Amino acid sequence: MSDAKQKSVDVASQQMIEQAEAQNIKIVWDRYDTMQPQCGFGQLGICCRICNMGPCRIDPFGEGPQKGVCGASADTIVARNLLRMIATGAAAHSDHGRDIAEALLLAAEGKAHDYGVNNPVRLREIATLYGIKLDGKKDLEIAGEVALKALSEFGQQEGELRFISRAPKKTQDLWRKLGVTPRGIDREIVECMHRTHMGVDNDYKNIIMHGLRTALSDGWGGSMIATELSDILFGAPNPIKSKVNLGVLKENYVNVVVHGHEPTLSDVVVQAAEDAELIKLAKKNGAEGINIVGMCCTANEMLMRHGIHSAGNFLQQELAILTGSVELMMVDVQCIMPALAELANCFHTELITTSPKAKFPGVTHIGFDEKRAMEISKTIIKRAVENFKNRRKERVVIPQETMDLVAGFTAEDIPYIIGGKYRSTWKPVNEGIISGRLRGVAGVVGCNNPNVRHDFGHTEMVKELIKNDVLVVVTGCSAIANAKMGLLKPEAALKFAGNGLREICEAVGIPPVLHVGSCVDNSRILIACSKIVEEGGLGESLSDLPVAGAAPEWMSEKAISIGFYFVASGVFTVFGTPQPVLGSQKVTDFITKDLENIVGGKFAFEVDPIKAAHLMIAHIDKKRQGLKLKPMMYQNG
Amino acid sequence: MRSFMKKLYYDVKKCLGCKSCELACSLAHSLTQDIFKAIKEEKKSLPRKKVHSSKGNNYPVSCRHCKEPKCVDACMAAALYRDDQKDMVVYDQERCVGCWMCVMSCPYGAIRPNILTKLAIRCDKCQDKDEPACVKACPTGAIIWCEEAEVKV
Amino acid sequence: MKQFVIIGNSAAGLSAVEAIRSRDKDSKIIVLSDEEHPSYCRCLISYYLAGDVKKEKILYRPESFYKDNNIELILNKKVTRVDPKKNRIVCQDKSAFDYDSLLIATGASPKFPDTKGIKKTGVFGFRTLKNTMDIDGLLAVTKSACVLGGGLVGLKVAYALKKRGVDVKVIVRSNQVLSQILDPEAAGLVKKKLEDNGIEVVLGEGVSEIIGEEKEIKAVKLDSGKAIGASLVIVGKGVSPNIDLVKNTDIKTGMGIISGNTLATNIENIYTAGDCAESFDLTLGKLAVNALWPVAVEQGKVAGSNMAGEKIQYDGSVAMNSLEFFGLPTVSLGIYNLKDLQGYLELKTYDRGANVYKKVVLQNNLLVGAVLVGNINSSGLFLKLIRERIDVSTLRDKLLEDNFGYPDIMDLVKDKEKLYV
Repeated sequence: MSDAKQKSVDVASQQMIEQAEAQNIKIVWDRYDTMQPQCGFGQLGICCRICNMGPCRIDPFGEGPQKGVCGASADTIVARNLLRMIATGAAAHSDHGRDIAEALLLAAEGKAHDYGVNNPVRLREIATLYGIKLDGKKDLEIAGEVALKALSEFGQQEGELRFISRAPKKTQDLWRKLGVTPRGIDREIVECMHRTHMGVDNDYKNIIMHGLRTALSDGWGGSMIATELSDILFGAPNPIKSKVNLGVLKENYVNVVVHGHEPTLSDVVVQAAEDAELIKLAKKNGAEGINIVGMCCTANEMLMRHGIHSAGNFLQQELAILTGSVELMMVDVQCIMPALAELANCFHTELITTSPKAKFPGVTHIGFDEKRAMEISKTIIKRAVENFKNRRKERVVIPQETMDLVAGFTAEDIPYIIGGKYRSTWKPVNEGIISGRLRGVAGVVGCNNPNVRHDFGHTEMVKELIKNDVLVVVTGCSAIANAKMGLLKPEAALKFAGNGLREICEAVGIPPVLHVGSCVDNSRILIACSKIVEEGGLGESLSDLPVAGAAPEWMSEKAISIGFYFVASGVFTVFGTPQPVLGSQKVTDFITKDLENIVGGKFAFEVDPIKAAHLMIAHIDKKRQGLKLKPMMYQNG
Repeated sequence: MRSFMKKLYYDVKKCLGCKSCELACSLAHSLTQDIFKAIKEEKKSLPRKKVHSSKGNNYPVSCRHCKEPKCVDACMAAALYRDDQKDMVVYDQERCVGCWMCVMSCPYGAIRPNILTKLAIRCDKCQDKDEPACVKACPTGAIIWCEEAEVKV
Repeated sequence: MKQFVIIGNSAAGLSAVEAIRSRDKDSKIIVLSDEEHPSYCRCLISYYLAGDVKKEKILYRPESFYKDNNIELILNKKVTRVDPKKNRIVCQDKSAFDYDSLLIATGASPKFPDTKGIKKTGVFGFRTLKNTMDIDGLLAVTKSACVLGGGLVGLKVAYALKKRGVDVKVIVRSNQVLSQILDPEAAGLVKKKLEDNGIEVVLGEGVSEIIGEEKEIKAVKLDSGKAIGASLVIVGKGVSPNIDLVKNTDIKTGMGIISGNTLATNIENIYTAGDCAESFDLTLGKLAVNALWPVAVEQGKVAGSNMAGEKIQYDGSVAMNSLEFFGLPTVSLGIYNLKDLQGYLELKTYDRGANVYKKVVLQNNLLVGAVLVGNINSSGLFLKLIRERIDVSTLRDKLLEDNFGYPDIMDLVKDKEKLYV
């Protein structure tokens, strides 16, 4: 197998990896190789840099120091480090949510004219949830109140986050009993930092239980606010066809890659690109038009709402620039490799940063301002158009690969799709599970990581799950990985799904793998699960459900936070490569064993995607047994 | 084919004391060759290299494969011998009884006892690899693997 | 072409042979041994008895060693007399060998006290492979044994017997085990380890009689009158150099055969090395016999080199012992006990929880001794400091720390550092 094939299963990526090699340009896989072997202390989580008595390391082979200078054991050090990762992940998602809430507020106040309420139904649902009186109020008025209420959740000191009430009652009660119901989003994150300061929380269990609370403040707080308020501002996604992979870059067009996470700017950029003046200018510059494509979760946001093509997932961000066809890459926050700046310099590509939170040295920054969103979008696109003439045609190598997909399933539209227009209901899913046609539901989410063959973890796992009649929902980089493999087409059911799942897919015309959004949209999975419990027949709490989660190629701290809010919500969750906890047997046991008896969910680490899929299947079967459901209708495989 | 004449040298100015070499060494000599599993092996692989600090500098210390090895003289089980062709002191673990004479006689303190395995912990220059694991692991290039004539900083 | 004759086929003799052969490929080398086996690892006989070492691993050099190196090995040949005037040695069987250069590396023999009944069958010394095999042959019918003497040999054989399922008691006249190499604190730790593992140690008791038939021992009677049942008795009361063959010659002897700083005796072409040699002891500053394997190898090497024409000076020996019982490693170097000594200084640490005891002995800022129990990682460095007589005044605070390492002594030792660049 060639080197490129070992690095990625995606043919387009393989081609560009070979291009990089031919041009002697170092990219993420090369840097990963250079970094080998990676620091074992770090991998095991037993390096502590929290105070200046350190840094301290625990000798994992037992001969050297077993305590830090302060006396912290491996258990304390591992737990503290893990809590800080949860805090960072929760902070990233939640700050994203805060930005959306602020945009909604500005729109409501009439200060951001390029935004408005695009989903009055959802606005009213959320307002009702927040206890806002609706009588006779205009959309924008309600939007203002919703935005303020959402913003207040960040700084809230006591009580509970409002969206917690959307979980099944039994699940809520358990959280209350355990003291892990989040009080306020920022508070929990701040408390992570306080607890992990030198000499504060030294009990690994106590530390991790706060991690659960913090993660819940992400999943049922910051992320959910991001999802719901984005749906209000930009409209709820509905199933929509699109294309994915590097082949969506067009040879004769001005290619603009929008990379990052938040939809506030990207959504306006999509509109700006349709500006007649700009298109005219593009043509004047020799292009046939302007081609906006997405990358990473920004891609998912634009894809599911506007059908904008996605150029790829996390590990393809450099590859897009390597095609030599990208006039401009605009980025906001999260998962943007620092390497892009230098790489862009090797090509004509202009890299533009837009978030005041995320700048690169030496890279042009065009600060985003919600109040001037369209104007800024146009400015950026204009730069792209003007840059087209600098493209060196002889350097352009665009892989041919594209794949069709259907995206844009949400917890709100799935019942319509499966239940029909007049009888919106989750019943077909519940009945499918109860009858044994469907085994259960799995969420496969998370990043890419060069420590796992690119897309291999996601796609192999998902194929194995659907083969075993598990309906799969995907988000983020996993969604794009599976889309590239053709698993997000309805036809995929015929080719890959087990008999039971295929029957359902055929009956309602859905793919066996449902794209439910970006990484903050994992909150949609929580809502969907809650609705399934509400529908009845599958237990009373989230942990009763025959569902499982996975992040087979995880990389970021956000993935850790997602993992923890799934586990805290009662979901068995498999990570590919282990979290940096194995340096403490106690912490490892606590999160991979003991937590199941506390919150119903727990982690497993399994890098082999097929084995991991079977861990999930075994868990789903265990839950089916617990619910005394019928045996599976079909024996597949 | 790796050169038998290569030795380990250390650019002390570059050594940050990160102990990556220690961990890489343990791992390279573990049964499982997987850090996550190696730390759980019953008889843990202990590092044949240890980083010592003195007067603000860090010094990785491991067997130097002396030309006139005191450990070989002291070994009452004839488990150690010098292979001049490979330019190294070879350790026949099968013969070792764990008397620790080698530990007692090493003037560099580069051999330690592994009480659990009853085997001496000493550098074997990673015979089965193209270069020692510590060289690969050193993030700053402080561990230099070269022939005597080539050594320069 | 010269004729080298080596009396003794163990550590000193063999390393001398190797030193000669590496310099002189042609001369004749004759090695004489009064044992029946080719050179074996003498210190491993207890491990062999215990079953820890298989017979094929006990040979010190491969069987082909003598042939490969063109050495004439004559076994079962006891040399009874050296005639320096005629450059000749004479054996028990009246055969004689002439030499141009002679090495006396006859080793030592176990001391047997003058105890009543000590000659009975079933009482053994523990020095040779033959002793070992004889004892081994009795173990099938041996339920209990007594070891007389708490020295290293005694304890090692006690360990071996215990391992073989024999109920074993060690009778020690002094108030501690290993009184010839350890101070009472260290000895206490070793004793506890032995007892925790089922080896009973009786301190402060002599043996007055070995009771039983001529061919079947029943018990040993202690000075206190108490009798301890045993069908096997092993005597580990130390060794005395085998120097009878030079009695009534011009070769000077004391406790052993006296060697100068080239390891030649007072006769120019006669050298001595190993357990039979009395040589300069670096830490004591006077002549002494250090009947130890590594010392024998070292001396044999120097003697052999000089016999082959080199002019190598031997700085002197240092008492050095390394032992391990049941996972407790212990090292003793040089002067280990200040019982009757003046002008020395001891520094110690004792971590009772971790069972780690460390002590160094200083004399005028020179390190002259050390005892390490539980953590022996620094022992090689200490030996280096002792051997090179290095002023350790700047190291005093560091010596006993767990992270004491070579870099701490790097600037003080003789060899110039080459690896740290």
